[in-house]
Amino acid sequence: MDTYETVDSHEHPDEHLWLDRLIKVGLFLLAQSIAVLLVSFVALLVSFETSWSATTSQQASLLQPGDARSGTLLLKDDGGTIEAIRLGIDVDVTVSGPTLRTRVTQVFRNPTKGWVEATYVYPLASDGAVDTLKMVVGDRIIVGDIKERQQARVIYEQARRAGQKAALTEQERPNIFTNSVANIGPGETVLVQIEYQEPVHQSGNEYSLRVPLVVGPRYNPAPIVQSVDFRNDGSGWGATTSDPVPDRDRISPQVADPARNAPLNPTSITVHLNAGFALGEVKSYHHNVKVESPDNMSRVVTLADGPVPADRDFELTWKPAAQKAPAVGLFREHVGDADYLLAFVTPPAAEQATQKPLPREVVFVIDNSGSMGGTSIEQAKASLLYALGRLQPNDRFNVIRFDDTMDVLFPTSVPADAAHVGEATSFVSALQARGGTEMVPAMRAALTDKLGDTNMVRQIVFLTDGAIGNEQQLFETITAMRSRSRIFMVGIGSAPNTYLMTRAAELGRGAFTHIGSVEQVEERMRGLFAKLENPAVTGLSAKFSVAKADVTPAIIPDVYRDEPLVLAAKLDKLAGSLEIKGRVGDRPWSVTLPLQGAAEGKGLSKLWARRKIGDAEVARTLREMTPEDTDKTILALALDHQIVTRLTSLVAVDKTPSRPEGAPLRLSELPINLPAGWDFEKVFGERPQLTPTQLRERRADAGQPAARRPAPVTSDTIRLPKTATSAELKMIAGLIMLALALILFVFNRRQTLLTDAA
Amino acid sequence: MSRFISPLVLALVGTILFGDGAYIHAKAWLAQVLLERAFDRSVATGQIVKPWSWADTWPVARIEVKRIGASAIVLEGTSGQALAFGPGHLDSTADAGERGVAVYAAHRDTHFRFLRNVSVGDVIEITRRDGRHFRYRADSSAVVRFDASGIAPSARDFELVLSTCWPFDAVTSGPERYILHATLIEPDE
Repeated sequence: MDTYETVDSHEHPDEHLWLDRLIKVGLFLLAQSIAVLLVSFVALLVSFETSWSATTSQQASLLQPGDARSGTLLLKDDGGTIEAIRLGIDVDVTVSGPTLRTRVTQVFRNPTKGWVEATYVYPLASDGAVDTLKMVVGDRIIVGDIKERQQARVIYEQARRAGQKAALTEQERPNIFTNSVANIGPGETVLVQIEYQEPVHQSGNEYSLRVPLVVGPRYNPAPIVQSVDFRNDGSGWGATTSDPVPDRDRISPQVADPARNAPLNPTSITVHLNAGFALGEVKSYHHNVKVESPDNMSRVVTLADGPVPADRDFELTWKPAAQKAPAVGLFREHVGDADYLLAFVTPPAAEQATQKPLPREVVFVIDNSGSMGGTSIEQAKASLLYALGRLQPNDRFNVIRFDDTMDVLFPTSVPADAAHVGEATSFVSALQARGGTEMVPAMRAALTDKLGDTNMVRQIVFLTDGAIGNEQQLFETITAMRSRSRIFMVGIGSAPNTYLMTRAAELGRGAFTHIGSVEQVEERMRGLFAKLENPAVTGLSAKFSVAKADVTPAIIPDVYRDEPLVLAAKLDKLAGSLEIKGRVGDRPWSVTLPLQGAAEGKGLSKLWARRKIGDAEVARTLREMTPEDTDKTILALALDHQIVTRLTSLVAVDKTPSRPEGAPLRLSELPINLPAGWDFEKVFGERPQLTPTQLRERRADAGQPAARRPAPVTSDTIRLPKTATSAELKMIAGLIMLALALILFVFNRRQTLLTDAA
Repeated sequence: MSRFISPLVLALVGTILFGDGAYIHAKAWLAQVLLERAFDRSVATGQIVKPWSWADTWPVARIEVKRIGASAIVLEGTSGQALAFGPGHLDSTADAGERGVAVYAAHRDTHFRFLRNVSVGDVIEITRRDGRHFRYRADSSAVVRFDASGIAPSARDFELVLSTCWPFDAVTSGPERYILHATLIEPDE
């Protein structure tokens, strides 16, 4: 064999070389394959790690804080067996001269087979005093009591757990309230009735009332995360920033997408109008109405087309038959041992001819955030274009637009010549609604007085729907920076935030007006310009000759053209007269009203208390009162006069338990409509996955009357994590390689043995 | 001599790989021993006790199936790291003993290897970190895709789901999961 091989090799020398080469190539390939195997195992490990982390991030993405807006856990709907609570609303308004009383009846019907707790977030007039809550169960009527907010909550929670029917009315903002109704049985209907008192609004010749029917979705700025700079001395003190909207969950009910849902919450409205004078035109701007006239001083107004969805404010205006509205109104009410007085005085208009209006610097601010999408932005643009057209050549002006970003058109205010106005006109025409509503920086920019020209009157015209949740931040900005600027708010859209408008105008010593449709633009803007262009009635004071009086507002604001001065006072006795003094332009003016001439009015004490509460809140914003003193004042007033405030709630409990022990109770947060004219996608971005019902489980026997904890929002089904390790694969591969090594070893050894043998 | 290099390298790589695989099992076993101690302390003190100082998770419950003598300590969360040491509690699901579905997941080749032996009707006992004890009865099992588990997070009853990869004997991981569903029999204070 040996010889054979030798011979063979000798006979084929090139063949031996070929074999040698083959072995070399083979070894190279083997080394390569080991390298590849190693690399691939490393890759395998890496891929396992990434797939794990991918699974984790999917889990995390189910819990986005933005999704928790509705604070609800979406339940799976098994073929429509779970139906939502149904709500119907009836609004009944009675106008008696200067005041109106509104009764809102909410009908909660439970078509489901389980016990339900329902909550509904709804708006009311911001200067209304809510004083009555009634719950009607079957033929029983339970009247609610006013209690401190925490105490009311505890009473309600106890009743809820005990299976008793209960209703709770809480104030979230002066114009946003929440009603909660516990233990509505299967197939049952519970009526909740609240009543509030409100003054009639007057502007020039026109009287009006406004019934807000929907809370526009608010933009709630995210908490600002600040980095903290600790001092080097190691004292360890640092500031934390608080959330600008701590109660964001409470004011953000789920909004039904109008493209996917039929309008919700059918509402019927009736107004009994007793003006106290012969009536002329009675008009509803946003709803078709039927007007009946029992006599020349009263009207009955109903909706012409039956119930409407609660998606826009109801606005009714009326005018006296006479050319001129009465310039003075005086009303009294005796409650307890005190007399309450409500006075309306419209100061005379200064004669245009006698004085030349001062030149003005006007800063226009327009909100082009997503909530303004749809018809609102059209109204705002039309209003602003009208305003630009009304500027005089010797005026100066500037334009600021904002969403979550901001643009100031000119570096400083410019003369209102044709070129500048033209530039501003095209800037405004090109605006589109999108983005968030960061109102504070825009207000700050508008209040920054760069010109500093004290010969000019400085005015800010602010056009917005006020759909923000951080009202208090805006008020504080105005207070801190207002200086000599005056702020005129223009409320745009079908459901503007009236509380923000009135309070901002009050703090900014200006006025405000509503524009609810494009048709109203010209008329309302003309009214606003009358206020801007004519001198205000300034330096107002009120004095009672005999009676000791507690007057609100304590410091009487300036009154603009066509606006009445509205005073409320608490008197120890109804005697003597009331003298009001002031200056119209540069001329002194005064009027004296004998108190004996006052007519009987209704609910004036509550209006007085409500205005005192408003005064206290303003004083707190102005830092004239400490928060503790403010709370004390408000609480005393609220308990005395039985009205709902941010510190007091109404609670009604039906003592008869109705829910059997052990039966579960479900929470149903009623969705609201999107205000008419709003664009869903502009506000909420892409349409989210909406299920027809949104119900949250709450165990009836749950422990504390705990604060609402936003439940995690989860998708319908749970994704399961990856649950296999690579252990087995690795061990098998390892074993194979060990076996391979063994084979190779044996093979090599054999060859070595053979060679050795040779 | 050079002839021995290639089998030696191959043997080395093989040993490393085998060792790596064995390490996963060893880690899974050792971690359970440490977790057992941490969990006992947790029950005793009522506090969250981390099994080792750098751990990013902590024991939340003990699962026991007495019939087959299986037991495991469940960790909070289902990150890859947590699952290496013990079954994980899906943090978007309810706690055991609460209304809703509690979902525990673990590796089919380590902590939930016993799942194949659990049959419908078996009693699964859960002891929570706070010492409360709950008994569930397995009532169904199913094989599902990981993204279509059909488990609604907000179930009306008190439910428990144990999940692991399917099939049990596969070597590579796939999209299928084995789920064992159980319902609370009685809480036992």
